Amino acid sequence: MKTEYKDRNFITIFTKGDIFSKLSYIFCGAANVRNGQIIKGFLFFLLEIAYISFMIFKGGHLLHDLTTLGENTQGMAFNEALGIYEMQQGDNSMLILLYGVVAIVISAAFAAVWLFSIFSGENARRNKAAGKHVNNFIQDVVSLTNENIRFLLLAVPVAGLSIFTVMPLIYMILMAFTNYDSEHQPPGNLFDWVGIKNFNTLFAASDRLSATFWPVLGWTLIWGFLATFTCYFGGMILAMIINSKGIKFKKFWRTIFVFTMAVPSFISLRVVATMLGERGIFNVLLQQWGFTASSLPFLTNATWARASVVIVNFWIGVPVTMLMVSGILMNIPGELYESAKIDGAGPITMFRKITFPYMWFVTTPYIISNLIGNINNFNPIFFLTGGEPHTLNYYKGAGKTDLLVTWLYKLTKDSNDYNLAATIGIIIFVISAIFTLISFSRSNALKNEEGFQ
Amino acid sequence: MRKTVIGLNLSYFNRAAIGVVLGFISLFLPYISRDGERSSMVSTALSLMGAEGGSKITFFVYCAVLLTAVSFVLGVVNFFKTTVAGVKVWQCVQAFATAFWTFLLFASKNILEGAGLQTSFLNKYLGIGFWIGLAAAYFGLFFIMKVTQTNPGYIALTILGVIWLFPILWILLTALRAEQGYYVGYFFPKGLTFQNFINLFSNKSVLPFGRWWMNTFIVASFICVINTLIVLMTSFVLSRTRFKGRKGFMNILMIIGMFPGFMSLIAVYNILKGLGLNQSLMALIVVSAAGAAMGYHVSKGFFDTIPKAVDEAAIIDGASRLQIFTRITLPLSKSIIVYTALGSFLGAWSDYIFPSMLFGDKQSSYTAAVGLYWLTDFRRIDTYYTQFAAGAVVVALPIVILFIWLQRFYVEGLSGSVKG
Repeated sequence: MKTEYKDRNFITIFTKGDIFSKLSYIFCGAANVRNGQIIKGFLFFLLEIAYISFMIFKGGHLLHDLTTLGENTQGMAFNEALGIYEMQQGDNSMLILLYGVVAIVISAAFAAVWLFSIFSGENARRNKAAGKHVNNFIQDVVSLTNENIRFLLLAVPVAGLSIFTVMPLIYMILMAFTNYDSEHQPPGNLFDWVGIKNFNTLFAASDRLSATFWPVLGWTLIWGFLATFTCYFGGMILAMIINSKGIKFKKFWRTIFVFTMAVPSFISLRVVATMLGERGIFNVLLQQWGFTASSLPFLTNATWARASVVIVNFWIGVPVTMLMVSGILMNIPGELYESAKIDGAGPITMFRKITFPYMWFVTTPYIISNLIGNINNFNPIFFLTGGEPHTLNYYKGAGKTDLLVTWLYKLTKDSNDYNLAATIGIIIFVISAIFTLISFSRSNALKNEEGFQ
Repeated sequence: MRKTVIGLNLSYFNRAAIGVVLGFISLFLPYISRDGERSSMVSTALSLMGAEGGSKITFFVYCAVLLTAVSFVLGVVNFFKTTVAGVKVWQCVQAFATAFWTFLLFASKNILEGAGLQTSFLNKYLGIGFWIGLAAAYFGLFFIMKVTQTNPGYIALTILGVIWLFPILWILLTALRAEQGYYVGYFFPKGLTFQNFINLFSNKSVLPFGRWWMNTFIVASFICVINTLIVLMTSFVLSRTRFKGRKGFMNILMIIGMFPGFMSLIAVYNILKGLGLNQSLMALIVVSAAGAAMGYHVSKGFFDTIPKAVDEAAIIDGASRLQIFTRITLPLSKSIIVYTALGSFLGAWSDYIFPSMLFGDKQSSYTAAVGLYWLTDFRRIDTYYTQFAAGAVVVALPIVILFIWLQRFYVEGLSGSVKG
């Protein structure tokens, strides 16, 4: 039999392999056992048995339930044997959905093991046929510290990600297509699949929900751009002042600003929030200093609150940009400035023609990732205003400074409208994905250029 | 300009002089202009001297008037006999004059009402003379600094520095304040005390703050170690080895990262419940470690810059990949290890959302972030405001020290993240 062929893949291993290769598609590890890797082969086989028995006894049932999300509502049911009504334990849609997802993830994990065993068997067969050494089990384990180190080092991260990130994510994505809201709370009630109805209600122009969604989305985008660009330019100007010639004690000045960055943001934001209150120190001082006769509604009037949030975010964000930009500023070739000076350029011209284009060129990817970060920036809004001031025009809970993320949080924590929260999560994902794609296409375009000239 | 003096840039002298002269003239323009009644700075100062009682800060007015006049005189002197030392003195005087003009912007109400010259005064009654004087003071100072070739950036840095430190100063003062309560009508406390800190850690029945702090410390330390290990392992594999599916794995991580993280907290909570881990601090560590791999970018970018030849040489010498990781790559990456560790520690130290969702009303498991937030609820803020401030200081202090100490590594990591 011909043992060497090119383009080995999932199909050719089956069609061109020997009988054991073919068998290993049904009995995992058959090819390994045949070719001398007995322990490995049996391990694969054991895993297969375990998976199949799981599916027979539990998983199949779980997957079936997933299609219906439960049929029996909790309530009083007539027990014919006893002739009385008794409390019947209903199905819990939430758990059914969760376990269904677990079954899906376990199946996916097994599929990976299955594929891996096929390729592993094929490798063993090929090595043996070519007369090369076939690793025994001990050698396989040792190879984990060397050429197969990826399995050793990535095992924990991958397991962690699958259990605590991927699985919950699938669960929440599926939830966007159910009606798991405040009126369908298990275990008392069932919820069911509703297709893309949630997206329709959010987008449709007439509903109260969409009357909340679009303004919140609008403010989220405005906030994202304002927060990103105010901090970017503020930090850049601050870094330029500190790094300019003739400023002594640069480290001292930098440390002053780094102070606000070093204080954990939840603390500084809570502190500033108490300072901005109606009887907070800002209002006290402004009245004492004679700037205003009555207290200003920093956090209680929609426009004021929005401005306050942007300004406080500026206070926190500028030092970060300042630190980041400092390094890049020093990389700008000094000759550019000297020749510009000889040509009679002033500081403003130099900034416009040299500093800014250079910075813009280098930091575009940073700005875009920052923009995405700000669109999802939970802390400033949540700790400063908590989304307030409330308005009657919005769906319950949402306030005038709420971003999509903080609204999402409120929908899960306060009003238990999980389906809406999940839908908004998906929308946020789409927005982030769009900006990431823009960033990618830009950085690809830049790579092909000659660079900053 | 008529002459040159070494060490001075006299082309700005005229503008500096204009600023100072304008400032001097503005002393005789209306300082207060209210309901048609006007009074210049000089006449206000004279009537303040005549007034009985008065505020402790009345000297601001005298200083502003005197220094502006002195600065004018010095300007005239320097015009006729320009020396480096003369201009330096002039700059110094003008700087103080500017400072006092600025103070007056905040102190006028107090001074005028204290002396009984005005009642319910507002800054909108400040006259044209004041605003011209203020602007002229800064204008003059700016150009005198230009003349002495001092960087005028100091002016901006001073003002910005004061603004930036203001809230931090406030929270420090509140933490040391003897008078309790949220609302006080003044900035500087009347009495200083350490009692707030002592209360925070002593009366355990009401506020288990010591416990919260320890909870946070334990969780953050574990997370710091575990997350750093996981991030370094992941980025090592993704940077230094090549295998099928590497790109795919990175893409999956990127896509996962685009979903808002706490969208799935409910599901995480249920999974933890299934594992029997809910309401325990272990849950925080496990969940944080599970997601740590997502933050591999910066350290991968750093590992990418270590030359491949180093690894190849080690392989020829018979080193395994694991040995390369522990003996070569890690010792070469001190700054990135510190950056990652600092980042994970900070993240865990100030995480709010997940612990608050996890622990609900179980106060004994609160972390400091949850506890402090709980204290600032409007029902408790009046009772606990000074203790909240003390708590904030206690929580922020370790981080600030760590941060200032390790600033260098942080900056290296940050600029690394920009490079890609």
